[in-house]
Amino acid sequence: MKKATMMLVAALALPVGAAQAETFEQVFNQQRALHGKGHEFTWQGETYKTFHAEELEAMAEPTQANAVALIESADALRLQSAAVGYEWRDPARYIKQAQAALAEGRFQHAMDLAARAKYQARLSLAQQKQVDASWYRAVPE
Amino acid sequence: MKTIKSMLLGAAFAVLSQTGMAAESGFTLETVNPEADRLALQAFYQERFAGVPLEDYVNGIYAIDPPSRKQWDALEEFPPYEFDLEEGEELFNTPFANGKGYADCFENGGIGIRQNYPYWNAEQGSIKTLEQEINECREQNGEQPLKWKKGDVAKISAYMAWTSRGKPFDIKIPENDPRALQAYLDGKKFFYSKRGQLNLSCANCHLQGSRLYIRADLPGPMLGHPTHFPVVRSKWGEIGTLHRRYEGCHRDTRSVPLPPQSDEFRKLEYFQTYMSNGLIVNGPGARK
Repeated sequence: MKKATMMLVAALALPVGAAQAETFEQVFNQQRALHGKGHEFTWQGETYKTFHAEELEAMAEPTQANAVALIESADALRLQSAAVGYEWRDPARYIKQAQAALAEGRFQHAMDLAARAKYQARLSLAQQKQVDASWYRAVPE
Repeated sequence: MKTIKSMLLGAAFAVLSQTGMAAESGFTLETVNPEADRLALQAFYQERFAGVPLEDYVNGIYAIDPPSRKQWDALEEFPPYEFDLEEGEELFNTPFANGKGYADCFENGGIGIRQNYPYWNAEQGSIKTLEQEINECREQNGEQPLKWKKGDVAKISAYMAWTSRGKPFDIKIPENDPRALQAYLDGKKFFYSKRGQLNLSCANCHLQGSRLYIRADLPGPMLGHPTHFPVVRSKWGEIGTLHRRYEGCHRDTRSVPLPPQSDEFRKLEYFQTYMSNGLIVNGPGARK
């Protein structure tokens, strides 16, 4: 193979090769999308389940203290995303509903709603970081 | 060994070429070039919708979708903004309680000036929009400010746009004030940044997504967007301002929307209107 051809092959192969290695996050997201929460899958020889971190938090004992803590941590993340102009529509709604459930003594329901709010708030912050680093790629040259 | 060297050179070329492209796109204060952005945007649309004259982009989706154009042409036989225009003219010419009027606040008595908005105000270090100055005029003369999204502010703005019809937009970014260029860059970044749970940017719908169905709607091109505002939108059933539309679009991404006339939206308008420099004012308009 000629030198120029070799260079071209290497250049074309690079992005493809880089895309082949799947990260844990990619595999998790794929499994979650395919099977929903609680599905078991393996990655690099280890077994995992498709729970988001916030859903695991909501599996703590359904007490008033745990519900309050989860609601407060969700609202703190929501405020962070609002401060950078990336607040999503639903976290505030879920937090409001969680507070209502808390007031009625429905602690598990309150924790589930707060977990949903916290998950979305976390994703909105991740979105802001990703956008900050990559927005210019969408600009026509 | 030669083979390995060649492979490494090839890999380096691939990485460098991508970096080079990114550097050219103008996403820092040092590299941003509004005129290059404007020409690149025009080139994008000329390639995407070959044969559509640039000047026709003032008509939004009706420039690039013939079936929508037919409906719009029929609608324009009796333009739905005519009553708003009449009211806007009357409001514009009605003196404030102190005897002064809008004409006293604007250059050339407020007639034929729409094409210069928004502009960079160096004294205040911010972007000024027409609607913002309409309300500032009121407040300076002891009147209550109007609500930003619809009603009287949109009608007065519509009348002022009407008196400017046919004049080409001429948005300036003063070279001696890097804050103005930063404001432009901020607006550009906003336009291309994905937002909300739906992970959509303005560009997703109005650049790549122009004339692609989103459910039953065809989003218009961003080129020429601000030229026809304020608009009577069939969905609204009334006249509204550009920032009302910004707020709605932002909400549609499942974000908590920014308020009309926020710093971010004014910068977005600055960027968008600069992109439409050379196109004529044709507001007020009628849209779906």
